[in-house]
Formats: sequence, C-alpha cells, structure tokens
Amino acid sequence: MPFTGLFEWMDALESSVALRQSINAYPFLLTLHLISMAAFAGLIGFWDMRLVGIALKTVPVSKITERIFPWMIAAFVVTLVSGFLLAYSKPLTYHENFYFWVKNALMILAGINAGVFHLTTEQTVTQWENDPVTPRGAKIAGIASLAMWAVIIMTGRMIAYSALVPEWWVALNAAE
Amino acid sequence: MSLLPLFQWMTTTSLAQYFSATTWSMPIVQIIHLVAVALFSGAVIVVDLRLMGRGLTGTPIRQLAKATEPYLILAFVVLLITGTPQMLSLAMKQYYSPFFWWKAEAMLVALILTVTVRRKMCNMDDSQLGSFWPKVVGLTSLGLWSGVIIGARLIGLLS
Repeated sequence: MPFTGLFEWMDALESSVALRQSINAYPFLLTLHLISMAAFAGLIGFWDMRLVGIALKTVPVSKITERIFPWMIAAFVVTLVSGFLLAYSKPLTYHENFYFWVKNALMILAGINAGVFHLTTEQTVTQWENDPVTPRGAKIAGIASLAMWAVIIMTGRMIAYSALVPEWWVALNAAE
Repeated sequence: MSLLPLFQWMTTTSLAQYFSATTWSMPIVQIIHLVAVALFSGAVIVVDLRLMGRGLTGTPIRQLAKATEPYLILAFVVLLITGTPQMLSLAMKQYYSPFFWWKAEAMLVALILTVTVRRKMCNMDDSQLGSFWPKVVGLTSLGLWSGVIIGARLIGLLS
C-alpha cells in the first residue's frame, strides 16, 4: 500500500487525534463535504452537459466559464478542504479503504481531462461556443468528465461500506 | 394524530424487508440517490443564482429555467424512487430522528416554493422581475434545499 508511512505519521499527530476524538467534527465536516460536493458536482455537471451539447445549448460556453466557474471553484475548494480534513481525522482508516483510493485516482484523472481540454479544444472556444452542436473534443471531454465525477460521487458514498470490497484488496491489506 | 403506526407499517413492507436483508441493494440506491442530488442541486443553483442577480445574468431567466427544468424533474423523480426504499427500511430510525422531521418540513416548504412563487418568477420577463423579491426567492430556495441535504445527512450521523 502506498504512503503507509505518511498515513501512520498523520494518524499520530495531535491535531489528527483531536479531530478524531471530537464528537461534532466528523458530522460537521461530512455534512459540509456533502453540501459543497452537491454544489460543485451540480455545476460541473451542467458545464459538462453544455460541452456535450445536451443542456444550456443557447448559452455561450465562455459565459458559463466566466459566470459559473467562480462558484464551482469555490464549492470545489470547500469540498477539497473538508475532504482532506475528513481523511486527516482518521488517516489509517482511509488508508485501508479501497473506495478512498479509487476516488482519489479518479479525481486526478478528472483533473487531467480538464487540463487536456483546456490546452486543446478550449483554445478555439470562440469559434464554436455559440453552436448548440459542439466539436468532438468538447464532447469527449464532457462525457469523460460526467462519467468520472459520477463515479467519484459513488465511490465517495461507498467509503462507508468498507467491507464491500474486492477479495484481492482484503488479501492485500492482510498481507501488510 | 400519531404517525408512529404508519412508520411501523413501513418497516413491515416487502420492499423494506428486501432492502434490510440484502447486502448490495442499499448501497446501490444510495449512490444513485447521491448522483441525483448533484444533478438536482445543479439545476436549482443555476436558476437560483440567476434570480439573485449572479451566475448567467446574460441569459433571460425564462430561458434558463426552461433549459434546466427537464433535469430538475428527472433528478427529483430519481430521488423519489431511490429515496422510497431508504425511507421504508429505515422508517423507525427516521421517525425518532429530529433531523428527519427537519428534512421533511424543509422539503415540503421548498417544493411549495418551487412550484408556486419561484416557478411564476421563472416564467416572467426579466423586465418584470424587479431586483428585491427574486433575490429573496433565490436565497430562500437555496437555503431550504440546503436544509434538506443537511437534515438528510445528519439523520445517519447524529440519530
């Protein structure tokens, strides 16, 4: 398992222990994480659906970027910080969790997808942003993003079902 | 009139029994429910931001509401379908949770607001809207639906 030493070090920190022992911290952080996730995922969902060409078809893509992105990024920051603190409150518990790793891997891939889109198809956005039918690059980026964020949400929920994991994952943890 | 007999009956339904007895059924409905929460939230937020004079201000409110309405309705239907087995199998836990009643009340008021005042505003021309009341409605709508999500999450955490 990667980063075992790092997670063990975090688990022993005073602040991690304090968070873990606090009665209200975990419910507060999880609720904050959920509500900011709903806002972020909802907004990025509509942005992606615009890229695919199935929603907000009359709104120029750059207008969505300009007017919706700030709210989306604000929600993402809250989701990220609350998510980090949730993991920080129980590092070793999350370290052993199959869905935690899948979720984080997908988030990295979603970020790469966004980066690739930004560096390629989005560079020509002024040529196609008013078209209800979007170019192939936008459609692919939008579909990939929608799929990844949907699975990220699902794996986030599945973290609570730590016993419902593949056999090979159980064997891997037992071997350590 | 006590609703306890109703909630007790819910736990005896075959759907509740099935969801309590099987391993994967509850996680599956919960993950679909959560994706639908995200879709619903997006549809609500895009329009509520516009009502508050934020977000896609270059787009007429009527156009924006019309564009997001199919997704709002679809998400709400999925939420009802996936929420029902959860409601039935966890009925007694919810009956005794103050957060469940908080969620239910917030949801009722939010629904009434959405299908009456908010819907009427979303069908108006931008020139007829004014600046004060749309902000009140947008903020109230966001607050109520946030309350629904918060209440729902706290049922499982603090009951």
